[in-house]
Amino acid sequence: MNEQDKGISRREFITRLMVLGSLAASYPAAALERLRSKAISANEQAWLDQDPWKTIAAVQQHLFPSTQDSPGASDFQAIVYLRNSIENPAADGEDKDFIFNGVGWLNDLSRERYQRSFTAFDESERETVLRQIEQSKAGRNWLSLLLTYLLEALLADPVYGGNPAGIGWKWLQHQPGYPTPPEDKSWYKLAAPVRYQRKG
Amino acid sequence: MDHDFDVCVIGSGAGAGPVVLTLAEAGYSVLVLEKGPWLTEQDFYKDELACCRRSVYTPQLTNEQHVIEDLDNEGDWVGEATSDSGWDFWNGNCVGGSSNFMSGFFYRLKPEDFRLLSEFGPLAGANIADWPISYAELEPWYSKVESEVGISGKIVDHPLAEPRSTADFPYPPTHEHPIAKRIDSSCRELGLHPLPTPRAILSRAKDKRRSCEYSGYCGSYGCSSGAKGSARAALLDRALATGRCVIRPHSKVYKLVSSSKGKVVAAAYFDADGQTQKVGAKIFVVACQAIETSRLLLSSTGPKHTNGLANNTGQVGRNLLFSAGGSGSGDFVYAGMTDKQAEALKVRGPFVNRGLQDWYVIDDKAFGGRAKGGTVDFLLRHPNPIGKAMSVKWDDDDRLLWGRPLQIQLKSLFTGSQSLRYEIFCDWMPTDNCYVSLDARLRDKWQSPVARVRIGYHEHDLKVGRFINERAMQVLEKMGAENIRSSVSGAPPQNLVAGGCRFGDNPGTSVLDADCRAHDVDNLYVTDGSFMPTGGSVPYTWTIYANAFRVADRIRRVL
Repeated sequence: MNEQDKGISRREFITRLMVLGSLAASYPAAALERLRSKAISANEQAWLDQDPWKTIAAVQQHLFPSTQDSPGASDFQAIVYLRNSIENPAADGEDKDFIFNGVGWLNDLSRERYQRSFTAFDESERETVLRQIEQSKAGRNWLSLLLTYLLEALLADPVYGGNPAGIGWKWLQHQPGYPTPPEDKSWYKLAAPVRYQRKG
Repeated sequence: MDHDFDVCVIGSGAGAGPVVLTLAEAGYSVLVLEKGPWLTEQDFYKDELACCRRSVYTPQLTNEQHVIEDLDNEGDWVGEATSDSGWDFWNGNCVGGSSNFMSGFFYRLKPEDFRLLSEFGPLAGANIADWPISYAELEPWYSKVESEVGISGKIVDHPLAEPRSTADFPYPPTHEHPIAKRIDSSCRELGLHPLPTPRAILSRAKDKRRSCEYSGYCGSYGCSSGAKGSARAALLDRALATGRCVIRPHSKVYKLVSSSKGKVVAAAYFDADGQTQKVGAKIFVVACQAIETSRLLLSSTGPKHTNGLANNTGQVGRNLLFSAGGSGSGDFVYAGMTDKQAEALKVRGPFVNRGLQDWYVIDDKAFGGRAKGGTVDFLLRHPNPIGKAMSVKWDDDDRLLWGRPLQIQLKSLFTGSQSLRYEIFCDWMPTDNCYVSLDARLRDKWQSPVARVRIGYHEHDLKVGRFINERAMQVLEKMGAENIRSSVSGAPPQNLVAGGCRFGDNPGTSVLDADCRAHDVDNLYVTDGSFMPTGGSVPYTWTIYANAFRVADRIRRVL
C-alpha cells in the first residue's frame, strides 16, 4: 500500500522550487520578451517549426533518440504530449513558464558558445551543451522536467497524445490495464475545476 | 426541536459508510457531507496520470496542505508545509474516501491488540493503553464486514490465528498469481506458515457490483467493476437506495457549532460555490480520517468547548498513530529461466495474496523476550509504468540519465526481471511526539487553520521492524531472488493513519467513551480510525469498518 511512485521525491521537489525563483530572477529580459512575442500558431505544422517548440523537440530527440531497437521522442509524439500537458485547461502554467524560459536560456548559451542556435547543432555539440547546463541547478531541473514529460509521453495512455497506438508499451513489453480512459474522462476533465498539480 | 436530518455524517470513507448504511436501513434520515467530488465506476479508468501523478482524487497542495513537524539535524522539531515539501498527506478526498484507492488486503486485529499494555507491559516513552473493549466484543462486527463489504479469502490453520465465529469467508479467494505457490514452498521450507491474504475484493458478483476483473492495477486506482469494497461501492450506494440518505459532495465542513449546553447543533460548511451553509441534526458523526477529524474538533470551539470540541481534557489530536515497519524487494531475473518459468512470473492480473504472521507475537531471546511483532505482506512491484521508468531517471552518481544509456536501463528494467516486494506492518507506538494541532500561521483556501502534525516515532518500532525484516528477507533469499534490498525507517506511511481521539473509560486520558461517543458531548460520535488507542500490526481498514458497524448499532439504540 505504500505507493512509492505516488509521492514526489522530496529533494527533487524542493530543488525545483528553489530553482524557479532563481531562474526567473537571473533571466535576461530580452529572452523573456522574445518568448512573449512567440504566440503559438493554431496551425499544426506551424507551431512545431517555431521556438520554443522547435528547440524543445530537438532537445527531446537528443534525450530520447530513435534507434534501431527503440522508438525516439518523435516516434512517440513527445512534443504533442508535452504541449497537451502544459497547455491544457487544468495546467497552472508553472511548468510551462519554466520550460519556455529554459529554451531561451539554452539558446542564449548555444549562441554564446557556438554562435548558433541549439537546433543547428550536431549531436556531439548537443550533448556537450546539455551536459554543461546540467551542471547548474536550474539546468539540471529543466532537463529533469523534460525527461519526466518524455517518460510520461512514452508510457501514459495514448489518449493524452503521446505513446501512439501503445508504441511505448509495446517497446517495453508492458501490459496496460483495462479499461483505458476515454477522452472525456482524461484526468484534467475529471479534476476540473481542481487545478493541475504535478506529482513527481 | 426540529432537525434537518436525524444524523449528519462528516466524511464518507470507511468510518462513515457503515454508520450511513445501518442508520438509513433502520429508517433514519442521514446526510453525508463530503469535501471532495463524487466519482463512480464510470469515472475510474486504468490511467496512471489520473490515479497517481496528478491531483485528481486529492486536493492541490497549494490550496490545502498540512504542516509536518519533524526532527531536524540539531534535534529540534521543525514544521514544513506539504505545499513546500511535496510530501502529500492526503489519501483520497472524494465520496468513499481513500477506501476507493486501497489495495484491500484485510486483516483483523488479534485479541492481544486489545490489551497491549496488560499483555506486554509498559514501555518508557510510549503511551500504551488497553482498549475499553475486547476482541470478543468486536468479533461479530468483523464477521459482518466480511458479508456486508464482501471479503474474499480462505481460512487455514495458523498458530496465531484469531478466533472467529464463522467457518470461512463468504467469498472464495481472488485468483492468485503463480508466484504465490513459490512463496508457499519457500516459507514452508523455512518452517513458516504462509497465510492467504483476505481481500476486500469480490471474487464473484454481489448485488450490483461485478466480480474483480483482474486488470492488475488495483492499489491506488479506483475500481471500475465495483469489486473493491470501498465504502462507496459496498455501503453508500446501498444507503442511497433506501431513499433516506443524501450525499452532498464538495461540502467542506469547517466547524461543528455547539450550544451553550455543549451539544452540537449544526455543521457549518462551504458548498461547491464557496458559500457557507449550516445544517442541523440530532446526532453528528465525524469520520474525516484521523488527522482531519482531530483538526475539525480542534477548530470547533464553542461556549462549553473553549479548547475545541470534546477537548476539555486536552486529549484531542494526541497519540496519533501511523503504521511502523518497512519494506523490501528482490528481483527474479528471466535470463537463465525456462520460458515457462518466465511467463509465469510475467502474469499480470491475479493477486499475490500471501502474508506472514509468524512474528505477530515475538517470543525470541534474540529480541530480548516476549513482545508484540507484526505482519509481512507480499506483493508484486506496482505495475505503474511511468513510476517505474522514473526510477532510472537518475544514475547511481545522482546524474541524469538520457540517450542510449537511459533506453538500455528502461529495457532491462521492464523486460529483464520481475520484482517481488514485501511490506512489514508493526505497531506505531503512541508517544507524546506524534500528534495533531492547529497551525498558527497557515490556512487552507477556506481560511481555516491547517493541521500541524508532529510525526515522531518510538525507537522500539524500528527494533521490531528490523527483527521482522531480517526474517522476511530470508524468504526472498530462499526463493532465489537477486538484488534483495530493504529499508526500515521511522518515516510515517501517510496512507496508514489512526488515533488522535482515543476511546477509553477515563475522560482524563481519552476523548471518546467505549461507544465512540465524546465524553463531554452527548450527540457527537467519531467513527473513523481516530478511536484507536493502539493500532495493531495490520492495515486499519477492516477494523475501522467493524468498529463503525458496532458504533452504528449503538447510535441506532439511542436515536
